[in-house]
Amino acid sequence: MSDAVVTSAKSSDAPLSRVQLALRKPGFLIGAVIIGFSTLLALFPSFFAPYDPNFIDYLAVRQPPSWAHPFGTDMLGRDALSRVIHAYTVNMQMAILATVFALTIGVTVGALVGYYRGVADMIFGRVVDAIITFPFLVLVIAVVAVLGPGLINMYIAITLVGWVYYARLMRAEVIAQMGNDYASAGIVMGYSDRRIIFRHLLPNAITPVIVYWMTDMALAILLGSSLGYLGLGAQPPQAEWGVLIAEGRNFITTAWWLSLMPGIAIVITGLGFSLIGDGLADLLRPRG
Amino acid sequence: MTRTLMAAALAATTALVMPVAAQERGGTMNFARYDGSRLIDPIYADRNPDIWMVGSLFDTLLRSSDDGKSIVGGLAESFEVSEDGKTVKLMLQSGLKFADGSALEADDVLFSLDRARNGDLGPWSGMLGSVSDVTADGNTITVSLSQPDPTILSMLATFNTAIVNKDVFEAAEGATDQEKSAAIFATASAGVGSGAFYMCGFEQGASMDFCANEHHWEMGADGKPLPYLDKVHFEIIPDDATRILKLQAGEVDAVEFVPFSRVAELDADPAINMNLYPSTRIIYSPINTRETRADGSANPLNDVRVRQAINYATNKDALIGLVLQGAGQPMTAPLMSSSTRLASKLDLYSYDMDKAMALVKEAGIEAGTKVTLTTLAGSSDDATIFAALQQMWAPLGIDLVVEQVDGATRGAKNRSGEFDIHTYGWVDDVNDPSQVTGWLGYSPVRNAVGTGWESDKFNALFEASGTEMDQAARAQQYADMQKIYADAAPLLFMYETPFSVAVSTAVDGYVQTPLGANIFSRATVSK
Amino acid sequence: MAGLQYVLKRLALMVPTFVLVMIIIFLLVRLLPGDPAIAIAGDKASDADLAAIREKLGLNDPLLVQFWLFFTNTLQGDLGRSIMMRTSVSSVIIERLPTTGFLALFAVSLSLLIAGPLAFVAALNRGRWPDTVIRTVFQVGLSMPVFYIGLILLTFLAAQLRWFPVGGSGDGFFGQLYYLFLPSMTVALYTSAIIMRNLRAAIIEVLDAEYVQFARAKGLPNRLILGRHVLRNALISTITLLGLSIGNLMSGTLVTETVFAVPGLGRLMLEAIFARDYPLIQGLTLTFAILVSVVFLLTDLFQSLLDPRMRLT
Repeated sequence: MSDAVVTSAKSSDAPLSRVQLALRKPGFLIGAVIIGFSTLLALFPSFFAPYDPNFIDYLAVRQPPSWAHPFGTDMLGRDALSRVIHAYTVNMQMAILATVFALTIGVTVGALVGYYRGVADMIFGRVVDAIITFPFLVLVIAVVAVLGPGLINMYIAITLVGWVYYARLMRAEVIAQMGNDYASAGIVMGYSDRRIIFRHLLPNAITPVIVYWMTDMALAILLGSSLGYLGLGAQPPQAEWGVLIAEGRNFITTAWWLSLMPGIAIVITGLGFSLIGDGLADLLRPRG
Repeated sequence: MTRTLMAAALAATTALVMPVAAQERGGTMNFARYDGSRLIDPIYADRNPDIWMVGSLFDTLLRSSDDGKSIVGGLAESFEVSEDGKTVKLMLQSGLKFADGSALEADDVLFSLDRARNGDLGPWSGMLGSVSDVTADGNTITVSLSQPDPTILSMLATFNTAIVNKDVFEAAEGATDQEKSAAIFATASAGVGSGAFYMCGFEQGASMDFCANEHHWEMGADGKPLPYLDKVHFEIIPDDATRILKLQAGEVDAVEFVPFSRVAELDADPAINMNLYPSTRIIYSPINTRETRADGSANPLNDVRVRQAINYATNKDALIGLVLQGAGQPMTAPLMSSSTRLASKLDLYSYDMDKAMALVKEAGIEAGTKVTLTTLAGSSDDATIFAALQQMWAPLGIDLVVEQVDGATRGAKNRSGEFDIHTYGWVDDVNDPSQVTGWLGYSPVRNAVGTGWESDKFNALFEASGTEMDQAARAQQYADMQKIYADAAPLLFMYETPFSVAVSTAVDGYVQTPLGANIFSRATVSK
Repeated sequence: MAGLQYVLKRLALMVPTFVLVMIIIFLLVRLLPGDPAIAIAGDKASDADLAAIREKLGLNDPLLVQFWLFFTNTLQGDLGRSIMMRTSVSSVIIERLPTTGFLALFAVSLSLLIAGPLAFVAALNRGRWPDTVIRTVFQVGLSMPVFYIGLILLTFLAAQLRWFPVGGSGDGFFGQLYYLFLPSMTVALYTSAIIMRNLRAAIIEVLDAEYVQFARAKGLPNRLILGRHVLRNALISTITLLGLSIGNLMSGTLVTETVFAVPGLGRLMLEAIFARDYPLIQGLTLTFAILVSVVFLLTDLFQSLLDPRMRLT
């Protein structure tokens, strides 16, 4: 699918000017900075974290924020800041790994089915309907329960269920685009299906998918943390924001910093993806 | 914390002894539970939320005394065991009634006990295996035994032998006993039991109501029938944080299973009494003692020295501090809680890193030996236990990894032996050590709680104690079994925890027994 | 006439979907690790007891036999008996359905009430401060886990300020309105963020469209343009999105019902999964599937009414 993204960029008349345009928007810039910094934290957590995130100190349990421990310590005396920072690795990984396969499969299937229609569309329609008919979380939890808890199984579960949403969106967009003149023109001019799909339909139809992808990355972090909270996602002592919130929620009135800090990390990261999504929506909006 | 514990115990006893001139009566107590009852029938109750409520709706012939050390009368006002230990005679009180006002007679007792020991019905029938016949002559009930049974009086004071109304049962809809029981429960039939309350409302998994039984035989301090309350309303709120918020917001009067991490906070709240009731609950971890793991690889835990080493390397006090915020104590009896009868008081692997290091060296454990701890998904206690054990055992060269599963999977793994160590807990259902000892150590029951540990000497002692009527001899058998078990260390011996129930200051007289039963009969809520 | 034909066609298409749904449910539930017999009898049961229970439940029968039984019984409306509730699955579901239905409808209403006006304000003030404020607030809302929002609302609005009850479902319409406000709000904050975002984009897209700009250039008043073009398009996309996110809404209630102790289908579902209650899981998933597909059907019909291109061929 990287192929498609490249073509999409190529298809624009003056790509650089669009990027410059987007960067001039404060929202997109802020989003880019947030995600850039988050990525740094995710790649080099030990460089930023002041302590070992798993070191237990029985004698310094649930200490309020101080200079030594800016986010305080948790119920095992572990440094909360270090745990929030180390969680970036897992949570940023979630945003990517829980969505990128679903995106790839979904876009491909959706585009093909939307273009060819016919029997394949009928069959995929039933499969998609059947999967989409289940509440997302129910199906994901069920699949994780079957595969066993853990990050990798969680990614598999989310992909198995999540591709459908991309496929559905993509199919609808492709069908809508088919009504446009350029698609019928392509067919009349005898272009290959591959060329029509990937060079003409896809770049124009992919905008909502990309925007949805950005939202979905934020959603993946939320879903991942929900599963972590249920014990089906990340495994302790791995620090993960959902796990950290779950650990801290019983102390929400007495040691508020434990659930607040990872919550803020989630919100900021999610915000980053959303802002980039908005920027991309502007950037990628097809022009006539 | 000790203060409130004492106060609670004191309150319970004063309610019993001190005649109060103007007893407060009436009102509803709102009680938030962590899990709902599904079927409160003496013989079918098999989950704690069911078992612990049976006593409120159904009375037993005998009862455990308040300190749990002896057996006293219940529906039966007196009882005697014959010389040879093979017959128990019980005298029913006269004028007993079920909650709907119909008479409770010997017929009902025969029906109930026959039901309780019917092997085709409930899961508890085995506990009455020694009973060969039950007969009645007027108000005298005779229980005949095929062999002497030291536990029989305890059994007659246990929930599964509680008395149900024969007529109501036979009139109920359904072809089988199970269907009749479910139908009675579903319609919240008032006449089925003779407990202090009858069920007057039920919404599966959401709420439940107990209403006062005005025909109850037991009298309160004011000379009128117990209970003092008109009604107990239960709400099921599985989420710990939400349950506590409901108490803090004044929407309920009591919450059970307060996480220990919240005990200190609630104790400091002037509007709340934080009660810690002594319990028979033990938290331990079965260790797979088999020569090889289920996947065929060599099992380092097969070596008793390694099992002893991890026991020594576990700092129980630190664990109790982390998980229970101090509200607990290390296990001192290897096979049971310290409040179970016949419990030994041993120095059960007090924290000793030097001994632990020496033992692993002797056993030749290589650094980086992987051991898996299976924990309950979503349990913060288990997550804490894992994090602490991982750090505590690292110096031994043990690389502890975690595997999180749900309860059903953990149960299945325990049966199939597909685990190294897993967290587990136990609460006695019977006021006798035989149940927990059979569960943890007697291999024919369940491979000694799934550990695969087997000792012929232990099994022989356990079998002998089953018919030993001499109290001193039986006590010696239990002491021996506990010694054997402690040395073999098929468990990671962890700690005992109390039952934590937070109540508003308006509530008085509510008690949870060491077996877990919720007792509302003497509870009051001041307006 | 063509409309009726379309409806019939659409209904006919639901048949294979449902067979597929039932196969998925059946297989998933059978693949779950853990033994339902242990869930029934408890950890303390003997192996013989477990074997007897398995036999009684038909768990030893071949998969195909079990599926056929499940399939035919379901068609006759018999969803079996719940293992943990010890009563018929359909009665449990019927008992809980109104609560979840109320919660979901309440949440949708709140979402529309919140998102609708704000989306218009944001779109019409595109790039100016009201837009920025509205979008920022919603993006923050969108970036919070549902259980976290719930816990915050619960801690502050219910427990601290005591404006709302902490948990439960209440009696009667107004009782439910009062009890379910916070849970619905928790779900709605999330849903409304999605709707707002989409609605704003849809409105802007229409406003930017050539025909609208042309209309503007012609000097048509803004109100007329909004009414004629924007509203109609915004409605289509919002209804479509709402229809699409019905599953998410149900997922939201799953977590929310647990946090707020609301005895609805979502909480039941989680309990059933953890208790390995096969018949109940099957019945609940099927119920969710029916609910969702009815909503999808309505969405589709609505959409095809307004945009015939979307009709299936």
